[in-house]
Amino acid sequence: MLDTKKLKGKAWVFGDILDVDFDIYPIELTKGEGRPKNEKDYGKYCMVNIDPEFPKKVKEGDFIIAGLNVGYGHDHETAPLAIKACGVSAVICESTNRNFLRNAVHIGLPVIELPGIKSKVKQGDELEANLKTGIVKNLTTGITMKFDPYPDFLLEILDAGGLYPLLRELLPKGEVPMYARIPRPQ
Amino acid sequence: MGKTITEKILAKAGEKKEVSPGDYVFLTSPCPVPGIGRGGPPIESMGAKFFDPNMAIVMDDHAGDGSFGTLMETEVGRARMKKRAKALGVPQSNVYINKGIGHLLAAENCWALPGTVYLSITNGHSTTMGGIGALALTLSYESTAYMILGRTWLRVPESYKMVLNGKLQDGVMSRDISDFVLGQLGPAGACYKILEWTGPVIDAMSMDGRFAICNDALHAGAKTGIVPPDQRTIDYVKSRCDKPFEPLVSDPDAKYEKTFTFDVTSLEPQVVAPPLRWTVKPVTEYTDIKISRAYIGTCFNSRIDDMRIAARVLKGKTIHPDVRLSITPGSNEVIKQAAREGILEIFADAGCEVPLPCCGMCGGFITPLIAEDVCICTGTCNYPGRSGHHDAQIYLGNPATVAASAIEGKIADPRKYLRGN
Ligand code: SF4
Repeated sequence: MLDTKKLKGKAWVFGDILDVDFDIYPIELTKGEGRPKNEKDYGKYCMVNIDPEFPKKVKEGDFIIAGLNVGYGHDHETAPLAIKACGVSAVICESTNRNFLRNAVHIGLPVIELPGIKSKVKQGDELEANLKTGIVKNLTTGITMKFDPYPDFLLEILDAGGLYPLLRELLPKGEVPMYARIPRPQ
Repeated sequence: MGKTITEKILAKAGEKKEVSPGDYVFLTSPCPVPGIGRGGPPIESMGAKFFDPNMAIVMDDHAGDGSFGTLMETEVGRARMKKRAKALGVPQSNVYINKGIGHLLAAENCWALPGTVYLSITNGHSTTMGGIGALALTLSYESTAYMILGRTWLRVPESYKMVLNGKLQDGVMSRDISDFVLGQLGPAGACYKILEWTGPVIDAMSMDGRFAICNDALHAGAKTGIVPPDQRTIDYVKSRCDKPFEPLVSDPDAKYEKTFTFDVTSLEPQVVAPPLRWTVKPVTEYTDIKISRAYIGTCFNSRIDDMRIAARVLKGKTIHPDVRLSITPGSNEVIKQAAREGILEIFADAGCEVPLPCCGMCGGFITPLIAEDVCICTGTCNYPGRSGHHDAQIYLGNPATVAASAIEGKIADPRKYLRGN
């Protein structure tokens, strides 16, 4: 389970405009027999059109650092599923496609928009992130960066490991996630 | 302080006096939610039920003939879909099998209404319903959760005001404006913005044109596109349903993060070249590219406007012997109207293939492209492998450009085929 207040890992730096169906999770590889059997299977396709060895090299808890509009194109949740399945704990980017961010958060993968990140992180730097305080620390260079902290109702989803694990925990008790409660959260 | 149409719709849906960009709203949509079956684990596996089965719409617009895998798997998928709908209490009138592309059915059946938030499960092109003055958003993976809770969350986006002046030439369509603007803004030019389309060109534009101009907001990173409703919108909705609605429009002093102004009078038909979606140039830059395949259709351009202009180009002509042209009307209603206007006869005389109404070749679901194919089409994407084999080359253009190219066997400017007819 990921601790959204203390994400820690190595940085894997990628470029701009990573398409969900071509760069992040090449959808054509997954047709016919290539179709993943379970969620863990998605990881073996992650970024392979850019770095065929990425799924084997990335370690549990590492970060993906991306440029402009990561998650480009359609709203397919296969892309964040692939990223999470190969162990990545969060994506930090210059900007993102909101369908990608929504799907990522809902499967329990934080996406942090932090303009300027590409100039402050190199391949292999050790990073630490705290979603509640909105701070990313580059442990290798000592640089600290700020981003809009995640609101509580999204942290509730991420801390549970995703929207559906949260629902499976709450629904049997007759409860609902924070964002669905009445009165509406402010 | 003036508010944009988006801020007004979200304040109403979120039951707040007013909202500003960056605020979070928590809302329920009054509109039905199409596309049950894709988007999160099946509701049955959550031990839960729909918050309201009448709000669920079951359809297979993507299926065509192969999107569930093999032809047989697709038919098994369709049969399962009907049983599931019944078991979940979805009314029979909410089940659409082989009736057409969901994004067209949404307009024809007024699933989205002016002034409302419209949530669709199926993909990022749900934004096309912005043409009716709704804030059209995609639920995607969150769909099952929404269908259980009847509630979603949203951060209020900033808005870009897109002002379109001048007059479109014959053969230049709203798709060309959308692709031209994408080329200008770039693939990250409107991340999480609303593209609010306004100006005399929009006022004069048909509803089909408005749906098309909102269809592809996602490729500039935009959250959605929207056309504030006017009398044309109200007449369209009233001619199709008697549901009550309250159209909302932007205040004259609404605040926009940026305003872009374009004069479209000299705009040429645009073509997108492979493999990047944002390589957009006038058709005259590509007129020597030989093609082997062409198709007209998809949620971008399969409406009656698109069938009409394709027919005007193809009238009295036949397709080049080295080319196959497939034209997929987007819904049964489009087929009926095309038949009534003698359009299907023109397509048949020209030698076109006219498959059943569905997403069809867009995702390579039917008659996919082979490795050697060079194709021009009215699709939404052109990354390698999108419509079939990885090596096939996919160019994008408006329906008139595609029809003219199919006649000449190479990418062609359609405007000369339209003068005088
Ligand atoms: S026509 Fe193409 S882009 Fe539109 S919904 Fe179908 S597959 Fe998606």
